[in-house]
Amino acid sequence: MTTNTATSSNDFAIDVSKKGLGYNKPQKMGKKLWAPMWIMAIMAFPIALALGVVRSNAISSGEAETTIATLGHVTTGVMFIGFSAIFAAISFAIARILGEFRKGGGEVQESVSTDVRTLKMPPTAKIFILGMAMGMMTLLVASIVHFVVAAQVSSGSISVATAETAAITLEAVRRLGVAVYLVAITFGLATIVKVLRFQAIRLRELV
Amino acid sequence: MTYAADANLRPAVDADYTAASKWRSRGINLAMAGLTITAVAFVGNLAAVGQTGADRASTLAWTFGVTTTGFALIKTAIAVVLWGIILKLWLRAESLKVALPKLVGTPGTDPQPLGDIDTSFGKATITEKAPGPLPIHKMAKKMFRPMIVMGLMAVMVGLVVSFVAAGSAPNTAALAWMQGLQFLGEGMLLSGISFLLGTILWALRTAGGEVQESLGVNTYTPKMPNTAKAFVALMMLGLMVSIAQFIGYVAVAGSSDPAAAFAWLGPFREFGLGLILAGIALALVSIGNVLGFQFWRVANLIKNGERS
Repeated sequence: MTTNTATSSNDFAIDVSKKGLGYNKPQKMGKKLWAPMWIMAIMAFPIALALGVVRSNAISSGEAETTIATLGHVTTGVMFIGFSAIFAAISFAIARILGEFRKGGGEVQESVSTDVRTLKMPPTAKIFILGMAMGMMTLLVASIVHFVVAAQVSSGSISVATAETAAITLEAVRRLGVAVYLVAITFGLATIVKVLRFQAIRLRELV
Repeated sequence: MTYAADANLRPAVDADYTAASKWRSRGINLAMAGLTITAVAFVGNLAAVGQTGADRASTLAWTFGVTTTGFALIKTAIAVVLWGIILKLWLRAESLKVALPKLVGTPGTDPQPLGDIDTSFGKATITEKAPGPLPIHKMAKKMFRPMIVMGLMAVMVGLVVSFVAAGSAPNTAALAWMQGLQFLGEGMLLSGISFLLGTILWALRTAGGEVQESLGVNTYTPKMPNTAKAFVALMMLGLMVSIAQFIGYVAVAGSSDPAAAFAWLGPFREFGLGLILAGIALALVSIGNVLGFQFWRVANLIKNGERS
């Protein structure tokens, strides 16, 4: 375990190998997936905004309450698919940065012809991955339920009042999902701080 | 060597590089506090499901204010951890300055002429001396603190307004001010985070130049990639949308029936935050690219150098 008073790479939980370990699985995933997630988000945001404008016009022109409630749920569902995707893109980009440190750190040590010491995945990184998964699932499930409620209120199988109650419940769930996602990102960044400290110590050991 | 101009943006050269970052632990604690506050509002929000009329409106008003404040605290926590990253980046650069001369020995002859080159990490420039910061770096260094402070202030004022709205529900004017102020604050906080990421890119560029100069070799600097250009554009656009939504909410605060305006202002304010977040993702991608480039450069210097 790492301590606050670590003075050598031995004070960290490390893997020792002859060759650099390269990217681990989450980092490989981060390299591949940040761009598709980013594109999905950048498409969802303007669509949700356009739906909001349509809903605003529906309210102004006095359209049926079911139409307005349906549009409300669809707008929020699309918007939070966008947020889920952009938080995923940010998380994958952080994983990608951690991958560069792991791969690059290994290559530099290899070039000195010494044992390659690689930091084991710290607890903060595990919390980062777990929190990201929880946040993403929460937002995605909430978005899907928004679409289900929209379909139900549109078809008349639930009342507008029930749809409104569902909107309040889903809003609570979404907000918690966003908070969990943001905390996960904080832990991902905290992992970078630890890696930087490890590398600052390890570099001086190479001499 | 002294760095008076940026003394408040980097630790002392002889700072303890082995010490754990206090900013990291502070950031994690602040994030957990933000999550706890959001969880309290979550329970309140669920309670609103069983309420009707003015009671429900009151609960929804304060839970909105408290939740957004919780988000603001977590975003501040992210900013605090990013500050920890900046300080540790400099200490790692100092370690490189200490270690590299011994690892490289006599640097090998550089076959590359001065000018632009293509690398697997994008275009780079080779110069004799380290290039200075880009205009966006200068702006980022100056702006991250005021943005974060103003953002937090706007969110806190919005929190007070949410309590006013809760105590006088239904109060559409207070609701409009609450939403406008808090999302302006959120936009500013995210912009502050963006400027901190810009400051990290500056630190990487400057430290990379200093390390190479200290070795007496040509300085390889990656050119500003398209992801970084798009990051700046998205951040600016998102901040403008955040300001525009605030103006929009203030404009409808006096309206007796703002429902139609609220219907588009809600997605509009979220659209603004989405743009800034999209920029943040690109900034992180740019940081990853620069790190890959720098590792490649360091490994090449070691491989091509002549150690005694």
